[in-house]
Amino acid sequence: MADKILTAKELEIQFKLRGKTLNAIRGVSLDLYKGEILAIVGESGSGKSVFTKSFMGLLDRNGRVAGGRILYYGRDGEEPLDLATVKREKEWYKIRGHEIAMIMQDPMTSLNPLKTIGKQIMEAVLLHQDVNRAEAKKRTLKYLEDVGIQDVARRFSQYPHEFSGGMRQRVVIAIAIACAPKILICDEPTTALDVTIQAQILDLLKELRHKYSLSIILITHDLGVVANIADRVAVMYAGDIIEIGTSEDIFYDPKHPYTQALLSSLPQIGVKGTDLFSIPGTPPNLFTEIRGDAFAPRNPKALKIDFLKTPPYFQVSPTHKAKTWLLDPRAPKVEPPAVVEKIRNGGLF
Amino acid sequence: MEREVLLEVKDLDVTYGGRKKKFHAVKKVNFKIYRGETFGLVGESGSGKTTIGRAIMRIVPSSGGEILYKGEKINGKISKELDRRVIKEIQMIFQDPQASLNERAKVDEIISEGLMNIEKGLGREERKERVEQAILDVGLLPEFASRFPHEFSGGQRQRIGIARALIMNPEFIIADEPISALDVSVRAQVLNLLSDMQKKRQITYLFIAHDLSVMRFITDRIAVIHKGRIVEMGETEELIRHAIHPYTRALLSAIPMPDPKHEREKKLLVYDPDMHDYSTGEPEWRELRPGHFVLADEKEAKEWL
Repeated sequence: MADKILTAKELEIQFKLRGKTLNAIRGVSLDLYKGEILAIVGESGSGKSVFTKSFMGLLDRNGRVAGGRILYYGRDGEEPLDLATVKREKEWYKIRGHEIAMIMQDPMTSLNPLKTIGKQIMEAVLLHQDVNRAEAKKRTLKYLEDVGIQDVARRFSQYPHEFSGGMRQRVVIAIAIACAPKILICDEPTTALDVTIQAQILDLLKELRHKYSLSIILITHDLGVVANIADRVAVMYAGDIIEIGTSEDIFYDPKHPYTQALLSSLPQIGVKGTDLFSIPGTPPNLFTEIRGDAFAPRNPKALKIDFLKTPPYFQVSPTHKAKTWLLDPRAPKVEPPAVVEKIRNGGLF
Repeated sequence: MEREVLLEVKDLDVTYGGRKKKFHAVKKVNFKIYRGETFGLVGESGSGKTTIGRAIMRIVPSSGGEILYKGEKINGKISKELDRRVIKEIQMIFQDPQASLNERAKVDEIISEGLMNIEKGLGREERKERVEQAILDVGLLPEFASRFPHEFSGGQRQRIGIARALIMNPEFIIADEPISALDVSVRAQVLNLLSDMQKKRQITYLFIAHDLSVMRFITDRIAVIHKGRIVEMGETEELIRHAIHPYTRALLSAIPMPDPKHEREKKLLVYDPDMHDYSTGEPEWRELRPGHFVLADEKEAKEWL
């Protein structure tokens, strides 16, 4: 396997809210490899955004890294940098954008409506690359071309409102690229877009990762998008990664009951006239301590031990591991749900 | 057996803006919705799908054509009695449960507001009962009635929005992207709730969405709309399995499926409206397969089949 670019080790993130402590991330470990696209999937509130925001020092004021390390290996020839220990904003300025860049969901809110898009991209070039204005402009035009915008000379001096949603997201991507980052975090980059535009943006991301040797973390709740673009998938639930593997591992051989339930509830899987599978209950309250498997209360087939002891990772294959007692050799054999067979056979559309 | 047509849209035109900057959002749209069915309107942003829903709700005025509900024209000027009947019988569920509930009103007030406007003489007790029943029907707890919208999650808020529609005992519900703002697991719950309601009360739905995969699960028939024009219409399975119009085919190819191999091998079709050469004659509605209509000119009809 390729080299690591980032490693989270036993990371814990807490928020203080009205005198109480919320454990948003509960001891998560994760490796990100150079050049890969890693997807993090989970429901709202599972902690997927908070987790990645901590890599850039973007946690809200009441949040803090309470334990663990975030090792960044992107500075060649240097010791790995522990991002969990970076405190001063000045240090973060050197990391944000230049080492790790982020693309948000809504392109309209990430662009300045009062500046031309050319200026906004050039700003990033001048800040992060050691070039003069003429060269910066040349590069800006090139970035615009690279993200698939036509007639760049004219587009350069236009304002965000003159662009469609998909084009705006392309501009946001161009700004991120202009910072020359090693890691690109995309937080629901296509959720606000039409399906045809979404497909184009996903293709663009795949292309750019090679061109600019990026490692990409994609945060999404859309499993279809994940299947399209991700090399590896991490499934997050209640502040923990409960299963991780290659796309094939997760879609064709999901092991954790939560992963299986997520796949089963997809409308793409549904058969008309029958009820769509829906996960009963709600995610656990993260203000209280969680005992055992966090998903157990919503899992009708949970084992007794699921309520008592937190499962460790069980290795399924060299690329695939999951935190569920079902993988313990002593556990009863449980057949995977029908959805798994359906996906394997490719009988979806 | 002849099915009863509940709603018919005939040559509907909707334009926005004044004389100088006129924008034609909906162009000569025709369709019928039969009682008890779920009719889907699929299209991308800017296609005019929401405008059609709003024109039926009479939130936006139509500039041409007719909207017939149970055979009576409901667009333009109508009598007071008909107006009241239509308000009661046609209800709407909105996309964003964060934006569509009044933040300052209690759930009880939100749900009963429409009811109080229509049934003016309703007593306090009866109103309370009806609200409670509506809340129970959508799977929430009666004690929620005295709370405010911000105390609820997205899925719960969408249920409140559905309760507000159901309390009117509507015959026809327009659901505009009712699940696109919700989490995957909650989507399934809301879809199931909508189809339960249909089974129990024979409600007819107009379901507006951009996502064909959701449409396939919930609708009986689908119309695909592009730039204000319906380009293809047919029974759901037929339309998805044998999509004919290049725009529909492009939409289908863009749906991401939860199957990595399929996704890696798939070819994305791109629709270019300039491909049509309508210089020799305007395209027409043609029944290219049984019950399956496509907007095409004669040459295209031959090519596409």
